[in-house]
Parts: sequence; C-alpha cells; structure tokens
Amino acid sequence: MNCFEFRRLIFADPRQVSEAMLRHKEQCADCAQLSRELEGFEAAIREAATAQVPEALAERILLRHQSVRQPKRFGFWFGGWALAASLLIAIAVAFQLDFRPAGEEAKVVTAATLGSNHPAVATIAYVLDNEPQLLKANLSGDMAVLLDSLEKTGLKLPVDRTTIRYLGKCPVPPSGQGDHVVLQTAFGKASLILITDRTFDSTVVVADRSMLALAAPTRSRHGSLILVADSLKTLKRFEAILM
Amino acid sequence: MLFDNKQSKFENLVRAYSAELYRYAFWLSRDRFQAEDIVQEAFARAWKSLSSLRDPNAAKSWLYTIVRREHARQYERKRVEIDSSQELDDLADTGGENIYDAMEMREALESLPENYREPLMLQVLGGFNCREIADMIDTSTGAVMTRLSRARLALRKFPGFDRGRKVTAK
Repeated sequence: MNCFEFRRLIFADPRQVSEAMLRHKEQCADCAQLSRELEGFEAAIREAATAQVPEALAERILLRHQSVRQPKRFGFWFGGWALAASLLIAIAVAFQLDFRPAGEEAKVVTAATLGSNHPAVATIAYVLDNEPQLLKANLSGDMAVLLDSLEKTGLKLPVDRTTIRYLGKCPVPPSGQGDHVVLQTAFGKASLILITDRTFDSTVVVADRSMLALAAPTRSRHGSLILVADSLKTLKRFEAILM
Repeated sequence: MLFDNKQSKFENLVRAYSAELYRYAFWLSRDRFQAEDIVQEAFARAWKSLSSLRDPNAAKSWLYTIVRREHARQYERKRVEIDSSQELDDLADTGGENIYDAMEMREALESLPENYREPLMLQVLGGFNCREIADMIDTSTGAVMTRLSRARLALRKFPGFDRGRKVTAK
C-alpha cells in the first residue's frame, strides 16, 4: 500500500483500518500522523452532527401509532372484534369505576353509541390526532387562565411529582371550548379538559381507539371535566387526585 | 425469536432507533419539526411493511432507507427557510468551549453539498460502512468513498479541524 491508497481509504472511512493500512502506518510517519489527526476530527464531526432529540419522541411516535391503527382500516371483520373489545372494556369500567356524584348512575357506553360528536368521543379523537403535535409546543397556555378555571370548577391539580406537559385550549363539541392540560405523573399521562361554561347532566365513560375517556360534571356542579387516559388504572388515579 | 409479535417488534424498533433516525432526518431536512414529521411518517410506513423485514439485523438500515425516502417524498421539493437561530438551539449541549467548536463544525457540515453530506451523516450518525451506504443511496461503493473523502477534505479547511489536530497531537 502506498500513501495515496492509504489516504483514499482513511478519508473514506477512518474507522475501517485494515491490516494493510496498519502496516503502512508503521512505515510512514506522515500517514500515521494523519490517522491520529482524523481520530479527533471524527469526534468533532460526530459532536457537531448530534442534534438534540426532542423529549419523549418515542412515546409520541407510539401514541400516534395507536391512533393510526383504526379498526376500520382492517375491514369489517376486525372492526367487529374491535367494537366487541371496546364493549368489554366499557363493561369492565362499569364494574370498577366510581366517578359518580352520590345517587347518580354512570353511563358506560361505546363510542358508536354516543356518536363522534359527543364531547368524550370527540376528545379522544382530538387527543390522539393532535396531542403529539401539541406536545412539541410544551407549555404554551396561560397558567392564570387555568387557575381561574380550576377555581370556577372546584377542581385541584396535583402538585407533587406532576408535570404539565401542555397547556392550551381545545374545542368541545358542539361549539364550546375547554382548557386542555396534559398531565404527566409517575403513574402515567392523562389529558384533562376543563369546561367552565357547561355542566354535563351525567357521568359517561367511553372506550374508543384503545383509550378511555371520562366526561363528568364536577362535584361542585360548576362546570365539567373530561379525562382521557390509556388505562383504567391511570384514569382512576387522576380522577382521585383531581376531585 | 427476538420479538414476540408485530406490535412488540415495532415498539422495540421505535425505542431503539427513533433518536438516531431523528438526528439523521434533522440533517436531511435541517428543521426539527420536519425531522419529527419525517420520523413519524417513516415509522408509520415501517409498521405497514414490517412483515417484509425478515432479518432483525437489517432493521437499522431498513429504517434509515425509509426515512431517506420519506424525506425525499415529503420535503425535497419544498424546502423551507432555515432559521439559523433555531438550529443553534437544536445543537446538543456539549458545554464549555466545545459548543463553539461544534458550531464551527456544524457550519462546515451545512456548507457541504448535499450529495457529500448525506453519506457522511449515514456514516457518522448511523455507523454504516461504504458498501452499506452505497446500497442505501443506490450508488456504487466507489462513488460513496469518493464523496466521503471529498467531504472530509472539505471539512479540513474549517477552523474546527485545527482544534482537533491540536487535541490529538498532545
């Protein structure tokens, strides 16, 4: 191997050093020096090329993946099974949840029963379809507005080990608006929609698209909340600390 | 069997490769939002054709190729204005004097022609060799070696190279 060949190879890939290249380095001080220089040079390139990766990127990809996997994409047969699965989840929720104000019967239904314009169903869709993008913006809303809404509805946010990953507004069908808060705790993530100008008549729990949503009047009966989480356990824990 | 089923296989791929694919997509698009969109779309496509991935060892190059194609499909013909101040925010926080070295080197990388920069990023970020890169960008190994050599020779003209030389000469 001559110097020309050595340099051609080492500039193409400094990590791939063949035995022939090693032998040449031992015999050629200039090429040995070049090889040493390129080690530091490669480290500098790698350092400069390393862009900061957004927080929770993998989680957002998987969240979106969940939303993409619509039952209808798999045809009628799979859709039927998905509907049955949703119903089973809903039945399980009916047995396990106790979100209701005293004396009020909770209604546990599938999304198909309520329709896509129901606030709880629409919120699941909104969370799955928009939250991955919204989370990129981090804390974007006005904390004072949120605190005002909390006071009006009589709810309290958990203060310990809780991160507000997003704060903003979101639409609530048919034509309302709510405060959209994404909460992250050690036990999971949930999306909270606070509605100050509307009090739901009753509590509804919906299972749809692998998510669960609770729509309920607040205990003070001043306003409502919608909670969306990916598991019953998470939903229950968030409800317990909010109410 | 490395993966139990399609879903767990997919989740493993996302957790293993999303970060480095993002870095690669960032250098393709030079925009952090577009980079995330590219990676999101790439994984959506990967899910659809996951059954075609027979060899788990080929997963990495397979995903890089999907990202590359996704970038070409979405953004190659509608480049946006790059906000350089935003890009500086996206640099890894290396701290101390190194940040300035990285900035200079980054400028140097940005100044490279795209057909030089792309194989360099595949090698530096993805760890691929010349033959693998040639397969991914559909060219010959010799052409890749030429581009990589020219890329490094061009980068040597920048001040960062002098600093690297001083460090290694100690």
